[in-house]
Amino acid sequence: MEQSFPTMISVPRPSLGARLTSPETHGAAQELARLAVGLGLAALYGLALGARSGGMSLVQHALAASAGLAAVAVLGIPALFVLLALVNAPVSPGAMLSAGARSLASAGFVLAGLAPSAALLAVTIESSDAAAFVTRAGLTLAGGIGLFQLASSVRAMLHDLTPEARLKCNALLFCFSLFAIMLAARVWYSLPILKGAA
Amino acid sequence: MNSQVLSVFDELLRSPRAIAERSRAGGDLRPLFVASLLALVLGAGVFGATLATSRGGLQLLYSGVKLPLSMVATMLLVVPAFHAIAAGLGRPLSFSGMVGLTLAAAGRGALVLVALSPLTWLCFDRGLTYHPGVLLAVACYGLAGVAALDLVLKGVGFDARGFAIVSLFAGVLFVTGGQTAWMLRPFLGRPSAPSVPFFRHRESSFWDAVQQSSLSSFGVYQLSKAAADGEAAVRARAPGPRLENADESR
Repeated sequence: MEQSFPTMISVPRPSLGARLTSPETHGAAQELARLAVGLGLAALYGLALGARSGGMSLVQHALAASAGLAAVAVLGIPALFVLLALVNAPVSPGAMLSAGARSLASAGFVLAGLAPSAALLAVTIESSDAAAFVTRAGLTLAGGIGLFQLASSVRAMLHDLTPEARLKCNALLFCFSLFAIMLAARVWYSLPILKGAA
Repeated sequence: MNSQVLSVFDELLRSPRAIAERSRAGGDLRPLFVASLLALVLGAGVFGATLATSRGGLQLLYSGVKLPLSMVATMLLVVPAFHAIAAGLGRPLSFSGMVGLTLAAAGRGALVLVALSPLTWLCFDRGLTYHPGVLLAVACYGLAGVAALDLVLKGVGFDARGFAIVSLFAGVLFVTGGQTAWMLRPFLGRPSAPSVPFFRHRESSFWDAVQQSSLSSFGVYQLSKAAADGEAAVRARAPGPRLENADESR
């Protein structure tokens, strides 16, 4: 007699990277969780850099690495929403939160991915200039990917606009990008490793 | 399993696209992991030992062990970065798929190194000197890297975004791999050294070394501060011929 067993159909769960960078929008709580995960992942990069000096430097670097992204989230994204609303762009607070969370989570995820390499380089490179250069390269790469994600998400919301309105929004987005770069750089330059700490 | 592993060896060379698709699709990647790791260890081991023929002796064994070690360590360090960069640029793959793709690429690169080993050995045998030898090794790594990145490119997609992902990953790989290998040097061994160390003490960085070797191969020598101090002391006692870069080893 044949015995039948219940079959288990396993649906492959998307990877952490896919979930963090997914363009799907969720509720505010989930988006904030996505943002928090991104900031937490960015701290891993800071920890890797802090391994160069050890001790309190681990905490300082972890906080500063996350703070650069947090500053853009707190000071930059709301300002971008207000400016886009002023030119009647079809953006909602929820969609902006989702776009911001996605971009900062992407940046944090890239920083976390770079953390093992950064730890090796920070610990083994003797020259403080070379260590600072490698640190800047990692932050630039992650920040660039985050900004790319944000610009892609916002531009996807502007499909139905007239060419003139879209031009205004793109100009605003460009100005915001410059502001975000300067803001993140301002915060990240508090990293001791960028100040030439051995 | 054995026949599967052998067929993967063949595919690594002939059908990088099939390997890339298998990595992307997921499923049972064990034969791919095993074959790629074998190719990596054997290929890098053979090339490492070939580099050491300029020094001979115990260096052959050390380099044959250390080069595969440095490549495996580099893979472990860069796979998370590759996974994150691909996801950040909108091409998320499963982590196991990424590991498979990266390992397969490294295995393919190592097989290219095996193919370049006879030529490298011949160059050293015909009297290639130390600094041009270092540059020849760098050129071989470059060729192997191109073959490896070709497979990676097929895995992430042959378009502008795929190129961006692979270029950024190549940057991370270059810096991390260079520094890992630098930590595990010497691979060629200093010809004048009386003994062969397994590791050298920590000094400067990979990038400084590439710069110095490039200059030295054109006859422009820069001495490290310690060496310069030592040489100044020797000169003060007994002037004689300069021992340029005599203390360095790659």
